[in-house]
Amino acid sequence: MSLQGEINKCLSAAYKNWIISKRNVFTVFELVFWPLISLLSIGLMTRFLNIGGETVAFLLVGAIGLTILQICQIDVAYVLLFDMWSKSIKNTFVSPVRGYHLVLGALLFGMVRGTFAFTILVVISRILFGFDFLAGGVHTVLIFLAGVFAVSALIGMIVCISILLFGQKADVAAWSLSGVIMLISGIYYPISILPDPLQLMARAVPLTYFLEYYRSAYGFGDHNIMTGAVMVAAYMIVGLIALEITIERARSTGILLRLSE
Amino acid sequence: MNYAVRASGICKGFNTLFRGKKEVLKDINLLIDGEEIFGILGPNGSGKTTLLSIFSTLIYPDRGELTILGIDARRKTHEVRKLINISTGKPNFPWSLTVRENLRHSGMLYGLHGRELERAVDWSMESFDLHQYQDTRFENLSTGVKQRLSLAKAMLNGPKLLFLDEPTTGLDPQMAQRTRALVKRIHRDMGVSVVMTTHYMPEAEELCGMIAFLKEGRIVAQDTPARLKRCLKIGERMRIRYRGDIDANALRAIPGLISADLSAGRADLVIDKNEVTFSRVMRTLQSAEILELELEEPDLEDVFIELAG
Repeated sequence: MSLQGEINKCLSAAYKNWIISKRNVFTVFELVFWPLISLLSIGLMTRFLNIGGETVAFLLVGAIGLTILQICQIDVAYVLLFDMWSKSIKNTFVSPVRGYHLVLGALLFGMVRGTFAFTILVVISRILFGFDFLAGGVHTVLIFLAGVFAVSALIGMIVCISILLFGQKADVAAWSLSGVIMLISGIYYPISILPDPLQLMARAVPLTYFLEYYRSAYGFGDHNIMTGAVMVAAYMIVGLIALEITIERARSTGILLRLSE
Repeated sequence: MNYAVRASGICKGFNTLFRGKKEVLKDINLLIDGEEIFGILGPNGSGKTTLLSIFSTLIYPDRGELTILGIDARRKTHEVRKLINISTGKPNFPWSLTVRENLRHSGMLYGLHGRELERAVDWSMESFDLHQYQDTRFENLSTGVKQRLSLAKAMLNGPKLLFLDEPTTGLDPQMAQRTRALVKRIHRDMGVSVVMTTHYMPEAEELCGMIAFLKEGRIVAQDTPARLKRCLKIGERMRIRYRGDIDANALRAIPGLISADLSAGRADLVIDKNEVTFSRVMRTLQSAEILELELEEPDLEDVFIELAG
């Protein structure tokens, strides 16, 4: 088992996603159109409501976080969705590839796309709404992005697991799961306004801690980034193990054969 | 001896929504040495694709032991996957990737990289005559080229054992013949053991040195095509056109006559292949003038009908 071989198994997922994305006109909508619509809607709403500078930053962090989370999580989910839609999942799973190869490769490509979208959004929000995304320094931005990408990988893995458990009908999870996560992790509001049970749930979602961390640079309360970092690392390990177990289960139930037909 | 495939007591069932578990494979025992192309034959729904999917470790059996190329395929699945590959009759690849991109992607799944990857891709494209399609997207390929791409993909990792699932399904006769020639080349020239499924009997007869017949999830016969025909006592066909009268009762009474379909001036007989029966048929027909006599050896189609019936 050579290291280069292992890396290339990971890169196979990034390569496939890249080729499919570059030939898909919908990519422009995913990376530019919808993110800009989302950002401009929030930005203009802050103008209409006459909201002050720091609160604008609070909301824009949410809008930007939401966008890159959606872009990156769908890239991780695409690693199986593309195979499922083209009924070529058999080719992937007769090869000596493991779940983590697929997730890491797809995540890598998702990070590239997410970073691209992030750059566009922070430049536009700087020009139009005076948002200084570097208020907390470069390291704050990098930690925030790392957290959002890691949460994206988790959501993408849950989608992949759902596909392998429930088949084709599970692809709806790809489009809806990030919405639920964002709702409870306080994407446009502090989680303190949520009902108690939802606050408890929010504390179990690492994205909450990364949003609080980035927002703390704009004067919005304290953060507990270490909890978020440990939590996301633990979830990643559990997620990768769960994915591996689900793939083995899919081989036993025969769902891999059904998804290829 | 290290068999290409050694399966013992393989069973597989799939859960259905309303009818509980449906048993698809029942106690499959097979020894495949890999010296000759091994054919798995059977009617639709007999479990051929499921069996091949188990052999290729895409799915796991519920029970039974499986050794592929001497490796325990239930425990060391990743070791097995490095040494095998599969090509299916209805190949599917990501639609928007070109032939070269699909091959490159498949090679990367096997951990190929750098020059080694490019060499494997080039070799596969050249071997399967795909160079002119290298920049054509999968969705724009003809069925025959898709089939060749599937075979090319299956050879990327230099497999020692190749599984082919109905490799000529949907191909026109010319393309099917070309594909069969490729399969022969893979086996003979490249030294790859081949296990294939088909329900096209002439194909099995042309390619396979050994055959297993699968019916309702069980292997009902396994042997060389010639021995299968002999063992099943599938008779030789005699088609006779004559003028005059024959004694139908005497004809039907000949020992070794399996069936007789008599109409005005025609007799379609199926006889046990022995000279005594043949001679007695000819003697019984002496009273008539023989206009035409056609003798036909039984083929695998007959074996198939006999076994699947």
